[in-house]
Amino acid sequence: MADYGQGGAAAALSPEQEAQIKAWTYERSNDPRGFYERLRAKCPVDFETHQSAATGSAGTITAAALSRADIEEVLRNTDVFSSEMPLMGSQEPVIPLGVDPPLHSMYRRVLDPLFSPKKMAILQPKVADAVNEMIDAFIANGEVDFSAEIAVPLPCLMFLELLGLPGAELADMVRWKDIMIRPEIVAGSAEAGMALQAQTAGEIYGRFGAEMEKRRNAPTDDLISYFMSVTVEDGRNLTDSEILRILFLLLAAGLDTVTISLQAIFNYLAAHPEAQQLIHDDPDQIDNVIEELLRWETPVQTLSRIAKVDTELSGCPIAAGTNVIAALASGNVNEEYPETLTVDLTRGDKAHLSFGGGNHRCLGSHLARMELRTVLREWHKRIPFYSIKPGTNIEWVASSLRGIDYLPLVWTSEKG
Amino acid sequence: MKVSIDVDRCQGHGRCYEVAPDVFTDDDRGRGEVIMADVPAEFEAQVLLAVSACPEKAITIS
Repeated sequence: MADYGQGGAAAALSPEQEAQIKAWTYERSNDPRGFYERLRAKCPVDFETHQSAATGSAGTITAAALSRADIEEVLRNTDVFSSEMPLMGSQEPVIPLGVDPPLHSMYRRVLDPLFSPKKMAILQPKVADAVNEMIDAFIANGEVDFSAEIAVPLPCLMFLELLGLPGAELADMVRWKDIMIRPEIVAGSAEAGMALQAQTAGEIYGRFGAEMEKRRNAPTDDLISYFMSVTVEDGRNLTDSEILRILFLLLAAGLDTVTISLQAIFNYLAAHPEAQQLIHDDPDQIDNVIEELLRWETPVQTLSRIAKVDTELSGCPIAAGTNVIAALASGNVNEEYPETLTVDLTRGDKAHLSFGGGNHRCLGSHLARMELRTVLREWHKRIPFYSIKPGTNIEWVASSLRGIDYLPLVWTSEKG
Repeated sequence: MKVSIDVDRCQGHGRCYEVAPDVFTDDDRGRGEVIMADVPAEFEAQVLLAVSACPEKAITIS
């Protein structure tokens, strides 16, 4: 899912290489629109900058598709661009992200209905309750670290709810997803990160395995029990290995992505009083605001594939075996489409790539949207006007998953 | 105006039935379904919005 922290055996990087990668991932996180504009000015396919971050794939070539057409080609043409690659310390392909059609289609037929808009609407009141409880805890203070008090815990709590795990597991979930998503930052270096990630992946598989054992003779009303009983198309059940690889991916891909989206959106809103006024005057615009800011900020900056055969993108030859990165952020804000170069919070017609595309379209996109909309709606009902705490230097996490670990917000007026 | 969804292209982003709920609905997987194949003039603006909001370019009008 991310171009960083992915791959098989860890390649030893020199301190210079590590510093170089840190520098450009920092630059990308702080200014993704400028960063990708500068890369596009050089070549429609980047063979240099992203290459240095392919830590797990020494000796292979990395090519980053930067134009909208090339990104769509990489995402849609699964005959040429495969998703079968090691990911986030898992020894076996994670499901469904690391699997190609036709097997992928079989898994998605089982998984899509569980994350459909109708199913998410049933969960929505629980999200609203959770958000309001969180706001209750700090509203009188007039300030909060939005990341610590909402953006991180909310998606984790909802994940525990879906899986039927106790809320007390929250701390473990947060630690696990951090190690899965940005091991190099938790561990201090790329190499140590890979080792920590592999070890933690084993820990996660062990924990979910134990949860499955508990349910073997006493099924509960949650996704784990559902996966243990569901029949796939050839009439068989999912194997334990398949279930574990699904659960692993739900954890690894489903938590931090909502967290960073909340951070990016609230960071924007806090710095734009006119956007807060728009939501105050017409809360029905919240859906449009979210779509536009998902496009503009592109929290998940890149997705990865591997070229199965020799091919080309924008006339640039791509050899079989090349790591191919779909730079979603570059497709979302791109001078090929001048209307994408500015923010227009009320337009609802802009197709963006922030949930990817093609048959791997983010499985959790409807969960993410429901959570984002619920947080914005409930927050703005109670804290309509707010700003970033004066003196704060906003620091973006230097990762292809672009978040803000510390986001202090302040307000003076409150409702309810 | 006539409208249809290419089921091979649709991936269930859900934009069509959100921006044009009179014309599209969602199936059990969250994919789009046309509920108004012959679109009267008053709903054409909705359909055009859905066409440009679909990330897969899966909606065809004629």
